[in-house]
Amino acid sequence: MSDQACEAKPAAQLAAASPEPRFEPKIVAFLCNWCTYTGADLAGTSRIQYPPNVRIIRLMCSGSVDPTYVLKPLLDGADGVLIGGCHPGDCHYQSGNYKARRRTIALKEILRSAGIDETRVWLRWISASEGQRFADTVTEMTEFLREKGPNPMRTEWAV
Amino acid sequence: MQRLSLTLMGDTMMEQKPRIGVYVCHCGVNIAAVVDVERVARAAAELPGVVVARDNTYMCSDPGQALIKQDIREHGLNRVVVASCSPRMHERTFRAVAQQEGVNPYQVEMANIREQCSWVHRDKGRATEKAGLLISSAVAKATRLEPLEQREVDVTPGVVIIGGGVAGMTVALDVANTGLPAYLVERQKSLGGRVAELNRTFPSLQPVSELLPPLIARVQDHPNVTVFLRSCVSQVEGYIGNFEVEISGYGETGTPVGGDPGSKSDAPRAGLSVGAIIVATGYDVFDPDRTPELGYRDYPNVITSLEMEERLIRGDLTVDGRSPERVAFVKCVGSRDARVGNSHCSRVCCMYTAKQSRLVREMLPEADVTVFYIDVRAFGKGGEEFYDEARSQGVRYRRGNVSEIYRKRSAPGVDGGLAPHAGAGPVVLVAEDTLLGQPIEFEADLVVLAVGMEPRKDAGVIQQLLKLPRSADGFFLEAHPKLRPVDTAMDGIFLAGCCQGPKDIADTVTQAKAAASSALIPLIRGSVPVESASAVVNEELCAGCAMCVDVCPYDAPTIANLWRTSRINPVLCKGCGACAVTCPSSAIRLQHFTAAQVLAQVDALVQ
Amino acid sequence: MALKTQKLTEQLELFGCIQCGKCTGGCPVARKTTLNMRTLIYHMLVDADMDVDAHQELWDCTACFTCVERCPKDVEPAELIISLRGELVESGRVPETLGTALMGIFRQGNPSGMARQDRELWAEGMEESLERAKGLASHAGSAQEECELLYFVGCIPSYDQRIQPVARALLRTFERAGLDPGTLGTRESCCGNEVRRMGEAGLFGMLVEENGELLRGVGARQLVTTSPHCFNTFRKEYGLDGMEVLHYTQLLARLIEQGELTFPEPSEARPGEHRTVTYHDPCFLGKQNQIYDEPRAILEAIPGLKLVEMDRRRERSLCCEGGGGRMWVEGTNLQERLAFQRVQEAAETGADTLAVACPFCLLTLEDAVKVQGLDEELCVMDIMELVDIALEEDLDP
Ligand SMILES: Cc1cc2nc3c(=O)[nH]c(=O)nc-3n(C[C@H](O)[C@H](O)[C@H](O)COP(=O)(O)OP(=O)(O)OC[C@H]3O[C@@H](n4cnc5c(N)ncnc54)[C@H](O)[C@@H]3O)c2cc1C
Ligand code: SF4
Ligand code: SF4
Ligand code: SF4
Ligand code: SF4
Ligand code: SF4
Ligand code: FES
Repeated sequence: MSDQACEAKPAAQLAAASPEPRFEPKIVAFLCNWCTYTGADLAGTSRIQYPPNVRIIRLMCSGSVDPTYVLKPLLDGADGVLIGGCHPGDCHYQSGNYKARRRTIALKEILRSAGIDETRVWLRWISASEGQRFADTVTEMTEFLREKGPNPMRTEWAV
Repeated sequence: MQRLSLTLMGDTMMEQKPRIGVYVCHCGVNIAAVVDVERVARAAAELPGVVVARDNTYMCSDPGQALIKQDIREHGLNRVVVASCSPRMHERTFRAVAQQEGVNPYQVEMANIREQCSWVHRDKGRATEKAGLLISSAVAKATRLEPLEQREVDVTPGVVIIGGGVAGMTVALDVANTGLPAYLVERQKSLGGRVAELNRTFPSLQPVSELLPPLIARVQDHPNVTVFLRSCVSQVEGYIGNFEVEISGYGETGTPVGGDPGSKSDAPRAGLSVGAIIVATGYDVFDPDRTPELGYRDYPNVITSLEMEERLIRGDLTVDGRSPERVAFVKCVGSRDARVGNSHCSRVCCMYTAKQSRLVREMLPEADVTVFYIDVRAFGKGGEEFYDEARSQGVRYRRGNVSEIYRKRSAPGVDGGLAPHAGAGPVVLVAEDTLLGQPIEFEADLVVLAVGMEPRKDAGVIQQLLKLPRSADGFFLEAHPKLRPVDTAMDGIFLAGCCQGPKDIADTVTQAKAAASSALIPLIRGSVPVESASAVVNEELCAGCAMCVDVCPYDAPTIANLWRTSRINPVLCKGCGACAVTCPSSAIRLQHFTAAQVLAQVDALVQ
Repeated sequence: MALKTQKLTEQLELFGCIQCGKCTGGCPVARKTTLNMRTLIYHMLVDADMDVDAHQELWDCTACFTCVERCPKDVEPAELIISLRGELVESGRVPETLGTALMGIFRQGNPSGMARQDRELWAEGMEESLERAKGLASHAGSAQEECELLYFVGCIPSYDQRIQPVARALLRTFERAGLDPGTLGTRESCCGNEVRRMGEAGLFGMLVEENGELLRGVGARQLVTTSPHCFNTFRKEYGLDGMEVLHYTQLLARLIEQGELTFPEPSEARPGEHRTVTYHDPCFLGKQNQIYDEPRAILEAIPGLKLVEMDRRRERSLCCEGGGGRMWVEGTNLQERLAFQRVQEAAETGADTLAVACPFCLLTLEDAVKVQGLDEELCVMDIMELVDIALEEDLDP
């Protein structure tokens, strides 16, 4: 695993150095109002920098993320979808995050069988006090998707 | 995809043609320094449904608000999009503005281009591009926003207060004095909290025996206060205005007892209905076992400041039957120390060390009293004067963070036995006197470690019970550090005293009074607005499968009507949206976050 | 030479320092020389340049890392010393003895400059065991044979006559416990722990590369060392993913706990029982790696042995001043050696044996016992030797 990472790095650096604009993944994020959205606000008030690749949609709870919310952006050519909720036990509505977890597992199955790369969908628990963690997650996800390359749906649809 | 189009159909039945005003805020330079606000405003003007788009220095200011009002009147706007700070800051403000001009407050949408854009990105080009996307997403949603009715529900008067220290007691009295019932839940067998363990208090040196018993008596004798001792809160349900709180006995083991047949407790079990909850659970003191270099575990004459308070109460400072000749204080133990996970300053130890060192000087005029410090933080009214007094009474202050405490075996009074722990005998404080720039070894007969304040070890229990976030230092997190210091992220739940962060008694009381009055606002008003963004069932589509009934944590949906279809009680529904996702017939719409609205936002973002 | 301070100050995050003095207060060396970590940092914070040559006391630091352990602001004061030494090393302005040691490591893979082919002489009399051990691993890289456990002997145990028996005892004990360790044979080179701490980053990098390649090539699951110094750098600075790096005391404590290694009940025939032992925590094992309990567990398992503690123990153990390359540099105050104080403290416990678990401590403290005229009362031994004696009967046919 670490070997792979080592090989991939120089390639990424080369890409950065070359005049070609590097690939900028589009990430749609569904964040629950009480934890992750607030955590993202805290990253802001703390001025913690992260890549602008993420675009946030505020929902009240991760448990209200409908499978279509995840499918649609991926089919339309977004490169990744991030779902952010409260840590287990902390959901404002008691159990919405557990529901989200179960649903995401099922959804990933569906994505896999539909030939869509399920690693483009991330579910993360980030609390209101974890601004740094939010920024780190976005940075990590952007890097991950940058290495993975554009969502093939983009081009397939384009044809 | 069939269900998607069905949902969409339900949504497109819009009554009014959208007329949207977009307002891009500069927030001084907070946004404008990174985002090209004029450009995004110009772009927004081109979006479908947008009638006017403007940028302005401060949208939340009076002129900013007036601008929106004027546009609503002149352009007949029926939707408003404000691109500025987080909706958590000012959504209420702009909703009120719209309402004043007759636009339904739920037809206001915000684009968070400060916290989630200008403050977190430096690349101006990309930040501007992102701000544009966030605005088009907000416009897409606004286009599909529907007017919602604002409902109010009656509140249950009364407040539950968790923790019977100075903070909790102060809240209880303030609440009770308005005539409303206060329920004070304390897990120990008596009220008073940590202050009951103290001797005298800075800065007045007033004995606790004069301060605390009268306060406790007033609380206990008040007709409107019900005190539950050896009790804890075991379950909380409901929402601001109407909480259902279950009180259980508190066992020796620190776990709730009562429900469990194996446990014994004489404490009552009660179910209370109240409108607000106040958390006043206080703090723990740092355990110096976690700074082993200070030898606390090894030497009986190395004690904590709390143990010192107890000795001062007893009036006994002797070590091994002898009066100590040299007494040393070590400050910042377990505070300002990243190693032990406490980066914060505990705020009281500088002052109580000045207090204790003064009292030692008074009791033992012959003794040398030396305080080792990093900084002296004597803020607060009378603080610096109190510190002046300590020095003028002969307390020596030496600057240096004590690095180690050990004992010389060859020192007089130390038994030559093999077990180093036995007996007392002076210890050696190893430090650098940073003002001399010299390492020193300082012998002392008694050493007091000024241990800091930490969150309660079991703060996690309250955290989970009430869904309260905590800040990085582990104390409970206030809604806003400056503007809402006693509120929490949870409406109707407030913080008082040291559970929110270290404080002395004066600050604790101040905060407790603030928490009490904040909690009382809705209780005195008599009603609170409830979530309007509830879920609704389209009974024509409902198949009566009852999956929504199973999934709802609040028992809002019921299947009771003649047609055996579901109906959601809007007062019980909190708008979590779980049912809408679960319903196999796509019969449920979560208002204000409908699938059509969300998918339109997706479209706007993934252009 | 004047060093521009800004870059290094930023790189080492010295701006976090609040000048509390806990580092200097706890520094064992600051009490006897002019080394003052806090003022050194202060100069870095407030001066634009530093005349590094004027700070000869930089060579006094033993790299005990007490300062790093205790700093409340997560500043790593000792790393500043290492970097400043690096400045001096880079331009060749180092004490002569240090130069010789570094040269020895560069040429022969050990600081005393002894011949590389003699690196296995420690195993004299155990050639059979060694042959087997070597057979396993000295073909490392050719993926010829699997080797579960690799024993990294270290320079001092390989060459120093006083320490060689410790290595032998270790190999014998492992065999008794049914383990089958391999070694790198004569291809083993200095681990570089002290090289890095003396500021020779270039040479250290080379050693990491060479040793790292050899170690990984063997594909062992576990790597065990005689010395806490080797253990420290392998564990923290080599990036040996997937390989469990152990100090021998950890492995022994584990074997004893799991019942794989049992001591025969004491009998009259065997010497070594009825000892009263006090244990000196080596800085690189204790303070720097929080291994306090395992060595004590081993001592307590030895029948007849009584463990007594010194007052300064565990987190407060007093550095013997042998580490961080101080073996090769005299430092500025030769009169008062910390080791002198340390052996006095050991003697005061009434113990007849001072146990250690580090070759540097063994040499330094044994020397101090002689100089202090305590030889009659106190002998210094490695835990490994005590274990070996306690097991000896087992060997008799
Ligand atoms: C050594 C020392 C000396 C000090 N000296 C002074 C001084 O001279 N002057 C000064 O102004 N301040 C002083 N202080 C500070 C003072 O102790 C605090 O300001 C004060 O105690 C804060 O009160 P509180 O009610 O917030 O918390 P606490 O006193 O900690 O009270 C909290 C109460 O809540 C209860 N509780 C906790 N969890 C639960 C639960 N889950 N359910 C039910 N009950 C619960 C606890 O049992 C406790 O009774 C000193 C502090 C120390 C450590
Ligand atoms: S109040 Fe004083 S003693 Fe306490 S942590 Fe702060 S600076 Fe240190
Ligand atoms: S889940 Fe949907 S179909 Fe089933 S009862 Fe509820 S609203 Fe009706
Ligand atoms: S939105 Fe949530 S609270 Fe409302 S009825 Fe549906 S599941 Fe219950
Ligand atoms: S202990 Fe840390 S904070 Fe204190 S003076 Fe030393 S380096 Fe600075
Ligand atoms: S590593 Fe040890 S000797 Fe060196 S400065 Fe730090 S405390 Fe002093
Ligand atoms: S409210 Fe955050 S996941 Fe449910």
